[in-house]
Amino acid sequence: MMDLLTALAISALFGVGVFQMLRRNLIRSAIGLAILSNAINLFLLAAGAYRGEVAAYANLAGQRSDALPQALVLTAIVISMGGFALILAMLYVLSVRYKTSDSDEVKGLRH
Amino acid sequence: MTVVIPLLACALGALLSILLALTPARRLPAPALGWLIAPAPALAFAALLALSPQVLAGETLTWRIAWMPTLGLNATLTLDGLSLLFGLLVSGIGALVTIYAGYYFSGHEGSSEARFFVFLTLFMTAMLGLVLAGDVITLFVFWEGTSLTSFLLVGYKFKDEAARQAAFRALFITGGGGIALLAGLVLLMVLSGSAEFGAILAQGTQLRAHWLYPVVVGLIALGAFTKSAQFPAHFWLPGAMSAPTPASAYLHSATMVKAGVYLLARLNPALGYTDLWFWLLSVVGLTTMLVGAYIGFKQNDLKALLAYSTVSQLGALIAMIGQDTEIAFKALTVSLTAHALYKSALFLVTGIVDHETGTRDLQQLGGLWRAMPFTFAVAGLAALSMAGLPPLFGFLAKETQLATITHPSVPPAASAIFTAIVVVAGALVLAQAGLIVLDGFLGAPRRKHHAHEAPTPMWMAPALPALGSLVIGLLPEPEWLATLLARAASAASGAKVKVSLALWTGINIPLVLSAVAVLAGSTLLWTRQRVRPQLAQATGNWQLEPIYRAVLRGIDGLAWLTTRVQNGQLRLYLAVMLVSLIVMVVGVGRLPLPALALPSLALNAGALLRLVLLALTTGAALASVLLRRDLFAILALAASGLSIAGLMLLEPAPDIALVQVVVEVLTAVVLVLVLTRLPASQRARAAEFTFRQSRFGLLRDALLALGTSAVVFVLVFNALSTRPRTSQLTPFFEQNAKPLTSANDIVGAIIIDFRGLDTLIEIAVFSAAGMAIYVLLRYASRKAGDREDEPAPRYALQRLCGVGDMCLSPMLRVLARFMLPLTMVLGVSHILLGHDQPGDGFTAGVIIALGVASWYVVYGYAETKRRLTWLKASVLIGVGLGIAVINGMIAAWVNGAFLSPVDFGRWLGISAFLPKGVYLSTATLYELAICLTVLGSAVLMLDTLGRPRDADTETEAQLAAIAQLRASGAVTLPEEPQAQQQGNKER
Repeated sequence: MMDLLTALAISALFGVGVFQMLRRNLIRSAIGLAILSNAINLFLLAAGAYRGEVAAYANLAGQRSDALPQALVLTAIVISMGGFALILAMLYVLSVRYKTSDSDEVKGLRH
Repeated sequence: MTVVIPLLACALGALLSILLALTPARRLPAPALGWLIAPAPALAFAALLALSPQVLAGETLTWRIAWMPTLGLNATLTLDGLSLLFGLLVSGIGALVTIYAGYYFSGHEGSSEARFFVFLTLFMTAMLGLVLAGDVITLFVFWEGTSLTSFLLVGYKFKDEAARQAAFRALFITGGGGIALLAGLVLLMVLSGSAEFGAILAQGTQLRAHWLYPVVVGLIALGAFTKSAQFPAHFWLPGAMSAPTPASAYLHSATMVKAGVYLLARLNPALGYTDLWFWLLSVVGLTTMLVGAYIGFKQNDLKALLAYSTVSQLGALIAMIGQDTEIAFKALTVSLTAHALYKSALFLVTGIVDHETGTRDLQQLGGLWRAMPFTFAVAGLAALSMAGLPPLFGFLAKETQLATITHPSVPPAASAIFTAIVVVAGALVLAQAGLIVLDGFLGAPRRKHHAHEAPTPMWMAPALPALGSLVIGLLPEPEWLATLLARAASAASGAKVKVSLALWTGINIPLVLSAVAVLAGSTLLWTRQRVRPQLAQATGNWQLEPIYRAVLRGIDGLAWLTTRVQNGQLRLYLAVMLVSLIVMVVGVGRLPLPALALPSLALNAGALLRLVLLALTTGAALASVLLRRDLFAILALAASGLSIAGLMLLEPAPDIALVQVVVEVLTAVVLVLVLTRLPASQRARAAEFTFRQSRFGLLRDALLALGTSAVVFVLVFNALSTRPRTSQLTPFFEQNAKPLTSANDIVGAIIIDFRGLDTLIEIAVFSAAGMAIYVLLRYASRKAGDREDEPAPRYALQRLCGVGDMCLSPMLRVLARFMLPLTMVLGVSHILLGHDQPGDGFTAGVIIALGVASWYVVYGYAETKRRLTWLKASVLIGVGLGIAVINGMIAAWVNGAFLSPVDFGRWLGISAFLPKGVYLSTATLYELAICLTVLGSAVLMLDTLGRPRDADTETEAQLAAIAQLRASGAVTLPEEPQAQQQGNKER
């Protein structure tokens, strides 16, 4: 049941991210990208083998949550932040060079 | 082991010539360079000679190193008769050409010609490698090597447009053939199950029976035909004569163009002995033979004439391979050797003539024999051999060719035509040889030239092969050579071939035909003054050049089409990718739709909370679409991300929830910073376009988003509902986290200890992102006209205002001042306690960065820079990465494993004094390193993204405000703003 809802939420986030990325406004595209990476991180986390009652700490008793996807997601969050900031820097470079933040006006990229 | 020595000798020569070209030694006179480098190919020649007794005794020498052992691939060199014959020609003529080239270039004043020797020796190495290669991969690598190096040699006079075009043409044709060859060789490898020639050749019967056999033959023949300039791909060879003559002599007579012949001969035992092979090679080879001889006879340029006669002879060699009779392989090896000897001699002679008279035009030469007697003698000998007259070696070549073509095994229908072609081509080639001697060296000089004899080493270089042609012909039966040729022929045929080198074999059909050819050729030569102009008129100058150009134009047209399709609209690209994704998953993936039976809605408190958070994150994301102001959209994004943090907490996964919270906030801050840097007019325009989209466009985007969403749903739901419910790895981490790393936090233990190297790479990537942003924006600001490294503008007014010129209340300013030390305390606690409790170095770094960010927001860029002078991002990154690496190395020193855990506290005996949960271990140091690196990169991002442009810092209104404040005496400015504003305008 929860899987179904999680899958729905992830796919909804993905759809919204894609829709945002298709906007002409580059700021919106960047926001879309951020939503996409959130969706993917959520998926990675949900792909853990089982859910726990307590956090993944060795000194806690009971069913611990799956630590492996958490470690992966932690790395993914930090890396996607770095990539996102780089994208933003590019967006700014485009704005300076093409005097626009409308992706349709940025056509010089193919040369 | 020993087979590699000749190749190594050549490679050392290449290395030596590169060293010479890179050092002041390149200014040595060219002959000295030639003499310095020539020992390398000479050594290769000697090494091959030293190996020859074993080969002549019938052995095949092999040298092998494992290359990709898991795939069963080795780099193999083998030396059998065929390789030895080619290897001797390549290295022997190579040594002569190297010496010769030195003298050839000696007259050229000014530029150093060391470059030529580099290309030449590289080519030599590639060519030697090609003929010594023992497997198809090695062969192909060297094959392409010869294509590339010959490109450099043909285009050697790169300032000459024609040379550049010829070089490109040669590369285009041989490179294109190379692609076909690669496909053919790979097929061959797959079909026979081995890359080595020995194994491939043993599988001949199976290969020929396979239904892919015609494809293999076609592809390999395409590669070989283009390389060996077979009709209709022959036209690149005459153009390639724009190479310096020594290179032409070497590449286009003795070596590279024979690579195709070599390859076909090498593979003949596996691929030959079929009708397809016979007809393909015979028809193409003989057509080339005739066309080359015919066009060659019309040439006036000595080099072009020699080039076309080379084309003709290559055709003959290819046709010989196709016959697959014993006499054919004898003819192959004899003709090959004879041609290499006389043709290299004639090319080198042409170089001498060109060098001494300044022309190669037969209509301007003549009477040279008086001025250069030795050169004339050499040319005469070589031309006699080319004409196929006794007692020279060329005679035997022509005899054996005729004997092959009149062999009873040739189908009677073709026999007459084939024989006629060989006789006619023989007559034409004889006439060409005559042209060189009669019009070039004899007769009266048609133009005044002050030719004199070339330096001795220069004419000695062609004299050696020319004399070779004579000596081999005169000697009754040179045993050694006969055995060598027999071994080579046997290797090409796959069965034993006997070779006798006796010139006189009695009166037989070949001799009669040969006499006919000589007569016809002499008649042509006698009447050349009338016949050649007539021929030139009769057939015009038809060439394949226009077709080649049309092909190139076609390719250019396709390129144009590509630029039409690739219109540069990024959204279109994205749409194409998404549609492909949808089509791929739906059409090809055939994912089963998961059963959507709704289970019972048993909602406890946790599930309900989860549901709410899922709805929140989706809703917030949706809000980011609908909200018109960019700032609000960013806030909605942050809300969506924070809801995900809440979901993480419910997992429960406190570590990543923490990271998610701080990273989400940092993301929002960075986004806002960028937003403030985009000019308001741009943002307004982009927003207008976004919200005034046509209904059709909106529908299209919505459909795309929905489609992608549906595909993702199917994928995700499938993945989630079929995922294994037990973990293979997690139990290991859970059991070993405490004993091995003394950490309670299992996630932290994975990050810091178990997967420590990943984390090291990760912080390196993160800092690379930070530095890339710095570089990008510095570059961009230079483009925009900002000055580099200028001190940040300092205006009194900005002291009161933060980011985006929003003036904030003093309360916030005081708060921000307290915030930064507070975040540092938080960060330190994360570093110290991270191993036992939620939080880690990433969180610490981002939290402190957020403290810094609050300064940027509240105090503005300039003020923050002024106050936080100690915050040097690059130093932080450097120190952070340094600590991480040194820390890992200390662990390696103590434990013998990089980044393994070491508890310094216990080591020093102070762990008892530390508070509970705090350790002094490599993990603590590592957390510190991560914190510093992340902080450094984040500050770098904030700093570069937050740095206002001069143009942004002041608007007209602001200036007016400053002026007003000044007038009222409320503020005193540190410097004259008017002057600065003036400066801005000028830029």
